[in-house]
Amino acid sequence: MPLELLLALVLGGISGIAVLLHLTGRSRLAVLSAETARTGWLRHFPGDKISKVLPAASGQAVLVLTEGGPGLLWVFGADTVGRRLAESKIRETATGLRFEFNDFAAPGLSLPLSDGERLQWLALISPPEEAA
Amino acid sequence: MTGDISYPDATQLAVPFFIAAILAEFLWIALMRRGGRYETRDAVTSLIMGAGSVAEGLLLGFIAWGFLMTLWQLTPLDMGTSIWAVLACFVLDDLRYYWVHRFGHRVRWVWASHVNHHSSQHYNLTTALRQTWTGTFTFMMVVKAPMVLLGFHPALVLFCGGLNLIYQFWIHTEAVTRLPRWFEAVMNTPSHHRAHHGRNPRYLDCNYAGVFIIWDRMFGTFVPEQNHDRPDYGLVHNIATFNPLRVAFHEWIGIFQDMAQPGLTWKQRLLYAIAPPGYSHDGSRDTSAGIKAAHLARHPEDAGTPGFGG
Repeated sequence: MPLELLLALVLGGISGIAVLLHLTGRSRLAVLSAETARTGWLRHFPGDKISKVLPAASGQAVLVLTEGGPGLLWVFGADTVGRRLAESKIRETATGLRFEFNDFAAPGLSLPLSDGERLQWLALISPPEEAA
Repeated sequence: MTGDISYPDATQLAVPFFIAAILAEFLWIALMRRGGRYETRDAVTSLIMGAGSVAEGLLLGFIAWGFLMTLWQLTPLDMGTSIWAVLACFVLDDLRYYWVHRFGHRVRWVWASHVNHHSSQHYNLTTALRQTWTGTFTFMMVVKAPMVLLGFHPALVLFCGGLNLIYQFWIHTEAVTRLPRWFEAVMNTPSHHRAHHGRNPRYLDCNYAGVFIIWDRMFGTFVPEQNHDRPDYGLVHNIATFNPLRVAFHEWIGIFQDMAQPGLTWKQRLLYAIAPPGYSHDGSRDTSAGIKAAHLARHPEDAGTPGFGG
């Protein structure tokens, strides 16, 4: 097959499928509740015992507290991904929190949170007695 | 020896069929409201990975070709190009595929290349095209060497490899449930391959077949899909990126980061490259054996069932 034709087929095919999927609503993000967050976290970490889940008001992420420490579950397209926060760097931003996971397969995540949520999450991620 | 022979690049010729089949599967799912699901960014990532894999073949294919042609000059055998030779080559190449695929799940160096194929949490025809960009660096072309030394021309070997990949395209679907019993007994099917893509402990390291499922039955790696334990697609530790570059290279980066840790012995550094995925020098991670054991500790009732020694 001539390279030009192959290139046109590939580019046209990818573009056409992308447009079709987007226009038919396949770009919608999942929305997390406390219940779906528990299920979602245990799907990624089936051996964990969850003590508390705190969904963000946006429904795009959930702080999960487990016996092994805090973790973050967030929306990834129509699905979710989760990471433990023990080795993560977390900093405050103007709109919420920024998470760096030290993981090439999980680039940093900027999460919009209200001031109240941000303070509550930070307190739960790093309780004062642990931070001391 | 057989003179200069050439076969068409079957994978490239199949591109229009791939596009048409993806559209047909999507329409089926949309109209029937069952049989799988699509997500825009996931599908686009898979398609870009597929295009990149073809590009990698165009750019680096000369390495495997040069290696195999060198062997072809050395061998005194020539099986020719009869229909029987093509059929024998196809079957032997499928056995070759089984072992390369098995190495791809049991040797981290090879897994680093293959992992991207399993990195989608979806299972549809675009997932079939989520192929590696780094296959050349696994050096798995050496597994083709015996076939060339037996007298199969490198062009024929590569042609059969292309046909094998095309066969595997259609089994990446949830739209087909089960096929007739005789077919499921001999051939790799959507049901068998769904199990292979499952991240459930039951389905880890099973069903490596390309075309004929008989290899898994022969070598003890066959696990039938269970209606009560539907495959949950993706990786044990799912990636959190749709960026094709990260998808293609994340495990290679992980290998080199692990090997570069201070304080390791040379053996430990080597094991980070060639031990099964999940190996760690301090036991802080789980291999598939550890994951299955942990599952059985939580669910002892599963012991002896398919995927857990049954």
